[in-house]
Amino acid sequence: MIEVDRLSKTFPGRTGDGAVEALKDVSLTIRDGEFLTVLGPSGCGKTTLLRIMAGLESHDSGEIRVDGKAITGPGPDRAMVFQSFALLPWATIIANVAFGLELRGVAKSEREARAEQLIKLVGLSGFEKKLPGQLSGGMQQRVGLARALAVDPKILLMDEPFGALDEQTRRLLQEELLAIWEQSRKTVLFITHSMEEAVLLGDRVVLMSPRPGRIVDIVEVPLARPRASAVDDMSGSAEFAAITADLWRRLRAMQQSGQRADAPVPVGASA
Amino acid sequence: MSSAASSSRPLMTGGGTARPPFTSLRRRVAGSPWTYRLIVLLIVGAIWQAFALAIHSLLIPTFTATVQGVFTLLGDVKVWEAFYLSNQALVIGFAVSLVVGILAGLAAARFRSIEGFIDPYLNILLVTPMAALIPLLIMSLGIGMASRVVLVFVFAVPVMIVNTRAGVRQVEANLIEMATSYGASEGDIWRKILLPGALPAIMTGIRLGLGRGVTGMVVVELLFVGVGIGNLINEFRGSFDPDLLYAVVILVVVEALILINIVRVIERRIAPWASGTVLRE
Amino acid sequence: MNVATMKSRQVHPPRFSAGAMAGRVGAGPIGLLIGAILWELIGRVAEMPFFPPLSAVLVRLGELTADGLIIGNLFNSLGNLVIGFAISAVVGVLIGMLMGAYRKVEMALDFYVFALLTAPSLVFAPLFFSIFGAGNPRASIVGVIILYTIFIVIVNTTAAIRSVPKPLIEMGRSYCANDRQLFTKIILPSAMPLIMAGLRLGMGRAVKGMINGEMFIAIVGLGKVVSSAGDRFDAEGVLAVLLVIVCVALVAVKIVQVVDSRLTGWLPSTSRQRRRNA
Repeated sequence: MIEVDRLSKTFPGRTGDGAVEALKDVSLTIRDGEFLTVLGPSGCGKTTLLRIMAGLESHDSGEIRVDGKAITGPGPDRAMVFQSFALLPWATIIANVAFGLELRGVAKSEREARAEQLIKLVGLSGFEKKLPGQLSGGMQQRVGLARALAVDPKILLMDEPFGALDEQTRRLLQEELLAIWEQSRKTVLFITHSMEEAVLLGDRVVLMSPRPGRIVDIVEVPLARPRASAVDDMSGSAEFAAITADLWRRLRAMQQSGQRADAPVPVGASA
Repeated sequence: MSSAASSSRPLMTGGGTARPPFTSLRRRVAGSPWTYRLIVLLIVGAIWQAFALAIHSLLIPTFTATVQGVFTLLGDVKVWEAFYLSNQALVIGFAVSLVVGILAGLAAARFRSIEGFIDPYLNILLVTPMAALIPLLIMSLGIGMASRVVLVFVFAVPVMIVNTRAGVRQVEANLIEMATSYGASEGDIWRKILLPGALPAIMTGIRLGLGRGVTGMVVVELLFVGVGIGNLINEFRGSFDPDLLYAVVILVVVEALILINIVRVIERRIAPWASGTVLRE
Repeated sequence: MNVATMKSRQVHPPRFSAGAMAGRVGAGPIGLLIGAILWELIGRVAEMPFFPPLSAVLVRLGELTADGLIIGNLFNSLGNLVIGFAISAVVGVLIGMLMGAYRKVEMALDFYVFALLTAPSLVFAPLFFSIFGAGNPRASIVGVIILYTIFIVIVNTTAAIRSVPKPLIEMGRSYCANDRQLFTKIILPSAMPLIMAGLRLGMGRAVKGMINGEMFIAIVGLGKVVSSAGDRFDAEGVLAVLLVIVCVALVAVKIVQVVDSRLTGWLPSTSRQRRRNA
């Protein structure tokens, strides 16, 4: 279980801009095995929240506790999937997938065996010796996913992982992610700016708003699980449309009220 | 990158938390690169001074003596005359190399089909120590302005050709396509797309060529034709005035820097969109 | 439709075009061959003392080699080159890394690095000579080589360290990499292409430094041979030694390129071409 307890973070302003309150008193509880999506316009702090949870960013006040223990930095219980894929361009696919294990000192044969399993899981068998430059964007992100799963984390942190991909690839990967997740049921924190994606994937959708970054609401997604095999039906259903429409109404209101105010654009806090 | 909580920010209430004196001055000094450069200079100067005093050689001046020497030279008319004489060759040679270098570079970029043929020659040009050609120059043109000008030219031209060509080639292809789709002729494309696009790289080539031109100017005088700055250097070597010798070297370096900075300023004026350029030779 | 457009519509079969043939055999060697032929012809026809035909130069090269002037001095010069380049490479990459990693170091040194990079390095030769004396010419020559080479290595290494994509470093940190792992597994491999580019450019400069230094010191090495030939106005001799020097330079740079390919084989071919032509 992850507890976010009154988390606050302010980025100091550069000369001329004011300081930015990326997160203010954000509190949240994430159940084990839950797939939580976080939705909001740019500057709402969703990426900052994720990065603090990954241990890449410090926070000013409040705490994040994983199973009771506070987070102070990166750790083996969490693994991140990046929007830009962040693959090592000079390493083969199998070396990339095994990278997290390599950092932990796992022996080569062992880590390559494990990497092999995951490469099969994400459907990239046969590409082990290729370089990232030889793969399409969708395939590269599968490698990123495999790498994160290889270290067997309790928590998967996904930072708009499909944001850099085209629509069709995105839909395929959403289905595949659901299928893979349904097998292992890890806790997932998934950042997105797409309402459809948030509702399709998540058990609950956390709606955040900017200036200062805070949680506005947490919306339950009552759609049945497992969803991977029924994605097309699901996204066509009335219930899906209703939830998505409601989310969009609220997002749009946030955008419009934000445009009136003359607040500075947050530095580094936006997704 | 997090700041401490807001409580550390000074409150603007009367008699609020006092800041240590000169905070903003201290911050500016600590943040300014010149502070660190000065520190390096002082460290190097100190080591130099200690070394020179310990060695006690007739040939190695102290740091302080060298600094004095610089000022002595700056006040000496003979030195300015020497610099003037040497620089004449630089100005003429560099001007010619500018024209020839850029035109040749543009031609090389235009006629892509001969690229394979001329590439080896450009590589050879870039790598040949031009100083070795000086005797041939003297045999053909004698000891005079002509050979000095030619040498400056020969030093400066290769890097300008290469950079100009590279500059034209790296202009994004879709810009050319876009212009063609709007009905641009070849001349239009050169004037409105390729030349402006290549300008940053051309300026880099000019900067590099200038540095090499200064080298050429000094080298020929140093090795063969005893006039101007090179002559001064040889003179000071002979008369065992090491402080003046070192001082001349410093002045030459300073001149090169000033010239290159002038080019930089010009570059910023005419090509302000150019971000940092990667060094190409 | 008039005659002009009809003509422009014709497509000539490219069977025997120069371009096609050059593509098959390799434009480089053909270009050099043409250049060699031109050299020979113009040298013969013009009959100027400072532009001897290629054949005369080659004959002179043979004579000089037979006299023992070439081989011994070649090895001497190569020795200087290797020592000077090695020191420049090691120290240069080190300083470049420090400058790339630590802002303060960069602020302190970049001015001097740039100044010495663009300054005419040969003017420092008399200074080296005064320090090391006539009894140790190799030290002065190596000093000149280092001055020619090290700064471009530093500049490119600094840029290389800077160019490591931040997301990659963050990814490493998120997987709990310590500083040493970040350096060896992410920063170093990522920076390698630009570092090698700096070393390649440095090698070209090192050869120049070697010759210029030797010509100035004029005691040992191929530079001395050129210098002597120049004093005697022996144009064939000068060009003969120049041929040897150019070959040395091209081979040396090629060696660096080969090492480069080995270490950065992962680079996509388009950016490799871009780097080679830079």
